[in-house]
Amino acid sequence: MAPDAASRRDEDEVCPVCKSSRYLNPDMRFLINPECYHKMCESCVDRIFSSGPANCPVAGCRKTLRKNRFRKQTFEDIGVEREVDIRRRVMHMQYSQINRITSIRLNRREEEFDSKRAYDDFLEQREDIIGNLVSRIDVAKTEAQLHKYATENMQSIRANQAIEAEEASSFQARISLEQEEARLRRQAAREEYETERREIQAGREDFLSKLASGSSTDAAAIAREGHKVLLKKSSARRSEEERIRQKQAALRSSELKRGSNLSTADFAGADTGLVKGLRKIKTPEPEKPYDPFMGYVPDKRDYYTLQSYYPSQYLDPIRNDARMLAGGYNLQDYYSRTLLEAFAGLSCFIGEEVSQRDAARVTKPAATEGTALAAESGQGV
Amino acid sequence: MALSPFGSRSPSMTVHSPNTAIRLRATAAQNSVAGSTAAVAKPMPDGDRELTEQLNIEVRERYVKDKKVGEGTYAVVYVGHLQDDPSSRVAIKKIKVNAEYKDGLAMDAVREVKYLQELKHPNVITLHDVFSSKDQNLSLVLEFLPGGDLEMLIKDSDIHYGVADIKAWMGMLARGVWWCHENFVLHRDIKPNNLLIASDGEVKLADFGLARSFADPLFNMTHQVITRWYRPPELLYGARQYSGAVDVWSMGMVFAELLLRVPFVAGSTDLDQITKICEAFGTPTEDNWPGVSKLPYYIPTDKAQVVPLQGRDFFLRQFPTAGPVGADLLMSMCALDPRKRSTAVQCLRHNWWTMDPRPTQNQDLPRKSGGTQKMGDDLTRRGGELDEGMFKNAARQLDFGMK
Repeated sequence: MAPDAASRRDEDEVCPVCKSSRYLNPDMRFLINPECYHKMCESCVDRIFSSGPANCPVAGCRKTLRKNRFRKQTFEDIGVEREVDIRRRVMHMQYSQINRITSIRLNRREEEFDSKRAYDDFLEQREDIIGNLVSRIDVAKTEAQLHKYATENMQSIRANQAIEAEEASSFQARISLEQEEARLRRQAAREEYETERREIQAGREDFLSKLASGSSTDAAAIAREGHKVLLKKSSARRSEEERIRQKQAALRSSELKRGSNLSTADFAGADTGLVKGLRKIKTPEPEKPYDPFMGYVPDKRDYYTLQSYYPSQYLDPIRNDARMLAGGYNLQDYYSRTLLEAFAGLSCFIGEEVSQRDAARVTKPAATEGTALAAESGQGV
Repeated sequence: MALSPFGSRSPSMTVHSPNTAIRLRATAAQNSVAGSTAAVAKPMPDGDRELTEQLNIEVRERYVKDKKVGEGTYAVVYVGHLQDDPSSRVAIKKIKVNAEYKDGLAMDAVREVKYLQELKHPNVITLHDVFSSKDQNLSLVLEFLPGGDLEMLIKDSDIHYGVADIKAWMGMLARGVWWCHENFVLHRDIKPNNLLIASDGEVKLADFGLARSFADPLFNMTHQVITRWYRPPELLYGARQYSGAVDVWSMGMVFAELLLRVPFVAGSTDLDQITKICEAFGTPTEDNWPGVSKLPYYIPTDKAQVVPLQGRDFFLRQFPTAGPVGADLLMSMCALDPRKRSTAVQCLRHNWWTMDPRPTQNQDLPRKSGGTQKMGDDLTRRGGELDEGMFKNAARQLDFGMK
């Protein structure tokens, strides 16, 4: 607002409630209340609402207003003011504390959605809601929806709020860090220029004094020497600079990494009633206790129980053979194996297994004649 | 099959099937593993040979060799992939024919094929296929394990691991060994460089070149198995009948090595190995190991030099990182008397596994690059050999001249 334009309009501005004009009261300030956005001057607000909540004095408006919610208007157009308030309420800032859900915080983040499409749908839905509220379509229904959403998603709303705050602060921190670095760089460059200038100066003086004291024959040699010293010094300086620059870069990248360590609310859960397409977040199952056998069952016998002794003329002498026993030979293993082999294959139906396997192989290149033949002979066994 | 915990064990799959031809055909039908040995096996009727040759060619053409990753006296290892899936990786171990055995295949290869095709378990290396090439070389298509082996991790001082990692590794090892024993297979060469690591961190028991199935009663087994540092005292004493307890001892030695990061009892000869074991765990006597003096190579010790059997506090002192319960488990794996040693099942039932700290998840286990090369080296080695330069040429077994 240009100052002279403002003053010109201010001249004939009149409070719609008490009709006093700026001409009579140059310090007049207008306030609005976000309940109904009716404009009135400060003195009217004081007069009407100091003793507690009262109805809006504008004819036809029955809204009950409170003094503490009056504030200065930000935008000249009251419609814009209202829309901004609604947007703020739906998405961001909260502005009221007393007995109502202050802000709905439809603040889902892109990372929380399955796809870009879902996120876009969400943004569109949010615009629809805002549009409804602004143009007063289905206000009651929309409000109810938002209210329900807010109560259901309190946790993720809070988490996203925290993330936003952190992002803001880390952005600030990065900006200040960069500024600090730039300042240091400038300082270093200045110092470097100074030292270089001084060294060149000193080298030249040294060179002159050498020339003055030395004989005329080695003048060229001295000149070459002086040049070489200068070169060596500047290359040493350059490598030093390089080192510093690398260090700074490393610092910066670590800083960035720290900054990007944010993660979204992990407990968003499934689709809420209002917002669709949220990424499903699985809570990790509690770790199962460690099974040393990893699912295999030791000593599983389907058809028999293993006994510790089977009388046998052939095996009995072994039970007393000290040498065999001392070597650790275990007859139990033999019993176990013999019985297992005797019962092995019961309830295994090769024919069925082969047909199952062949059914599974249908998609793959058909089995050659050879395997089919082999399979048949296998069944015969 | 669902009813039995023993996978695809059917009568025709058992090791001692009388009729080789039938077994071959059945195996080919089930998982098309075999077909291979046919080419070098006894001559068969014409129809059969054609069938097996056909199968063999079919299997052979399913794989493509990419790159050689290791070569030893006994085998060459290639990295390869499936013909129709270039993203798959397999290791192809090509056994050199006639390297030592002038007639027929090397025993190691036969053993490896014979037992690996029986064993399907996450902690045992998978044998995908076997085929023979045109010059009758046997090729084993094995699971590709790019994570190297446990020895590499133990020796690398840049890698730090804790008791939770050890627990995870030991758990996988114990499950692998248990699965072998549950299927009546003795591995007989458990040591850190036979424990290969898959890309997901899973430890897999490999190198079944010395494996055999549990012997029937009164059958002799050789005692010249298991790499010396991991060989149990009963084998050093020349026992010819033994059980899964030999693998459990090796497992205990691996456990101790994981804890200490150096081999626990590393003898330079077999005699030295016995001495070191006696010093560490106590001298075997008739009291603590009834019948030990009957073993062929048992050497009686002077009463004065007998080291008493080490108790629990020795293990606690020597292996503080394992904690009291872990030391208890280690002690049960290292009992001198094989009958007092825990079995693999008993080890897995120990309460060390379920107490804190919980074993590390596979994806969080320490790992190291360069595993493919290491796998190549590991798969080319002969069973029971130490590849330390110092003992490279030492005799594998000394005759003490007692018998």
